[in-house]
Amino acid sequence: MTQTQSAPPATSSPPAQQSSNTPQPPDVRKPGARGIVARWFEGTPGRMRAFLVLAAAVSVVFGLAAAQGFRQSDGALERAEANAAQLVRIQAIHTNLVSANADATNAFLVGGLEPPDQRQHFVDSMASAARLITEASTAQPADQKALAELNTTLIAYGGLIEQARANNRQGLPIGSQYLRDANAVLQNDSLPLVNALVEANEQRVDTEFDNVNYGTIWVVVGGVVALVIFAITLRWLARRSHRYVNVPIAAGALLILLTTIVGGVALSSASGGASSTRDDAYAKTLALSRARIAAYDARSNESLTLIARGSGDAFDKAYNSASATVDDELKKSSSTPDDLTTRWNEYKRIHGKVREADTNGNWDNAVAMAVGTTKENNSVDAFQAFDDSSAEQLQSTSDTVSSELSDTRGGLPPIGWLGLPIGIIAALLVAWGMSQRLEEYR
Amino acid sequence: MKKLIPLAAAAALLLTACSSGNYAATEIPAKPAPSVASVAPPAAQPNCGNPLASYQPDGALPAPGTMPAGTTMAKIKQRGRLIAGVSADSFNLGYRNPVTGQIVGFDIDMINAVADAIFGAPATGQPHKVELRVISSPQRIPTLQAGSVDIVARNMTINCARWQQIAFSAEYYRSGQKTLVQLDSPAKTVADLSGKTICAPAGSTSLDNLKKRNPAVKPITANTDTGCLVLFQQGKADGISGDDTVLAGDVAQDPYAKVLDERFSEEPYGLGIPKQNVDFVKFVNGVLAQMKADGSWMTSYNKWLKPALGELKAPPTPVYGR
Repeated sequence: MTQTQSAPPATSSPPAQQSSNTPQPPDVRKPGARGIVARWFEGTPGRMRAFLVLAAAVSVVFGLAAAQGFRQSDGALERAEANAAQLVRIQAIHTNLVSANADATNAFLVGGLEPPDQRQHFVDSMASAARLITEASTAQPADQKALAELNTTLIAYGGLIEQARANNRQGLPIGSQYLRDANAVLQNDSLPLVNALVEANEQRVDTEFDNVNYGTIWVVVGGVVALVIFAITLRWLARRSHRYVNVPIAAGALLILLTTIVGGVALSSASGGASSTRDDAYAKTLALSRARIAAYDARSNESLTLIARGSGDAFDKAYNSASATVDDELKKSSSTPDDLTTRWNEYKRIHGKVREADTNGNWDNAVAMAVGTTKENNSVDAFQAFDDSSAEQLQSTSDTVSSELSDTRGGLPPIGWLGLPIGIIAALLVAWGMSQRLEEYR
Repeated sequence: MKKLIPLAAAAALLLTACSSGNYAATEIPAKPAPSVASVAPPAAQPNCGNPLASYQPDGALPAPGTMPAGTTMAKIKQRGRLIAGVSADSFNLGYRNPVTGQIVGFDIDMINAVADAIFGAPATGQPHKVELRVISSPQRIPTLQAGSVDIVARNMTINCARWQQIAFSAEYYRSGQKTLVQLDSPAKTVADLSGKTICAPAGSTSLDNLKKRNPAVKPITANTDTGCLVLFQQGKADGISGDDTVLAGDVAQDPYAKVLDERFSEEPYGLGIPKQNVDFVKFVNGVLAQMKADGSWMTSYNKWLKPALGELKAPPTPVYGR
């Protein structure tokens, strides 16, 4: 009993514990690590040690979680930006290809005497597509295989186009067959690959936009769990030690609380920023890209309808569906009819004239309008106006996406790096606060 | 408690790995399987008497511009143009001259003559009152049946199976089926081409004749005659089977091809006309008879076909009696 009396004046320690200590001979399990560990957590000081370990561990875990949350959001924002840029790149490839094909088919209407400007535009479009494919394949390794495949089909396409031109130039009708085959390669082999690439990258952008939100969850859940443990520790300690507040541990809790609030607010505002980019600039970029692609598709089909000379119903239907897509996407890209819509409507009006002339048997006049040799109702000029203005808008919206996303990233506090140090400081505060109480048991 | 720390760390690492930007490779869309040219066996020709027999013209042709009321010609006159289904890629028969953009050829001359008989010859420099619709070989009969064209001039062989669906003018040219091969091919006849891939336009009589002649050749089809020439130039076909007129056009475009001498079928060409327009068939027969008589038929032949197919004594004699 003298031994127990020498124990510190633990006024609140229940006597039952004291009595239970006596019949348990401490030397029975002296060797064996289990015994040592058990004794380490024995009694009130043991519980204090247990709380210390728990609270310190939770602090470190909180630090890790906060860092993880920030890195997750930051990384997701970075990847969303990169994937959006890749998507714009792939859609630029798509646009270049359909635009080149529109040139090639339209040039066929004028025969061997291709307008030099149109030829140059074709060459430029193919060259940009080739450059963009290389860029895209460096930017996203996951796209490499599909892009390699795309490259292969484009070599076949280019070869057929050149063969068509060579034969056309010699006045041989077989040139038209090569042109048809080239068009088939583009439609059946190249564009499905481009569509697969677009789909994959749209999905990646979506995934990353979703991931931005998950960062907040890490910080908030980590913070709440840590604060609950701290609250329990403080409460238990207050009861045992009859002191209201253990200042260092409370300071640790405050640190965690502040980090959680600052981090949570910063991350949720970041994810709010990201989702407004997603709904606004990014959605607009997508809509404009799709509108441009559909517009070129419509233009090709206008030429193909004329080339087919009366048996082009299928192409005319394809024109109508592409043109309806342009209308839809333009509506999505801006809520009010703007300059771009006006230009597109002007092109559609001239297309109506072209169709009217063709249906009335005036094929030559229809072709003249379509290849832009007429003063009035010049389809080439009207399309060019739409093309230029939409390209400009697309450039500005896709720049907005990328600058908004990097601004959002730039606005994040450096908790990604500070998270773990903060956790360690909180753990040290716990250790300090607890050791003050443990001292009293020495 | 201590055990939980590495666990939590591992979980954290795992979660980070999930969203580190290692995406699955973009899926490459599966290519649609190329439709194998499943060629139905040639249908047995129904008996329609002499397939070459067409409708006898009713007396002399009406003067251009004065078509009897209620006739098909009057309807065409009222519309202001003749709508004709033609080929735009059969060199010298009906093809688009890439330099001028105009569709010209032997078949087109026939169409222009019919149009001129309805509307009168155009002034010099003016186009004939014709709307040419470019159709593919398998489209010939459907467009006639749908009535979307008045007449088809697209190297079309007269036979009994087709008489059941449409009407034909009297024969305006006698062609025959031959085979085109590489310049260095040792083959002399179709019999030597067993196991070789030979192209013929889908839905043509050439395809049926080829399979009858040598069932051991591997047929491959294209929608147009020129489609076959592209397959031949790309090495996907070892040869082309078709009418001598078409093959003459192919050889003219590809000096590394030759046409075998063996001619193994008779292909009488007729102008296709919707079955119910018997009055128009009679009118067209009158125009053809006039062309053959006044020498304009021969002028046209000499211009388009003589360089490749040689001198011809006389145009085919029309047979009437349907």
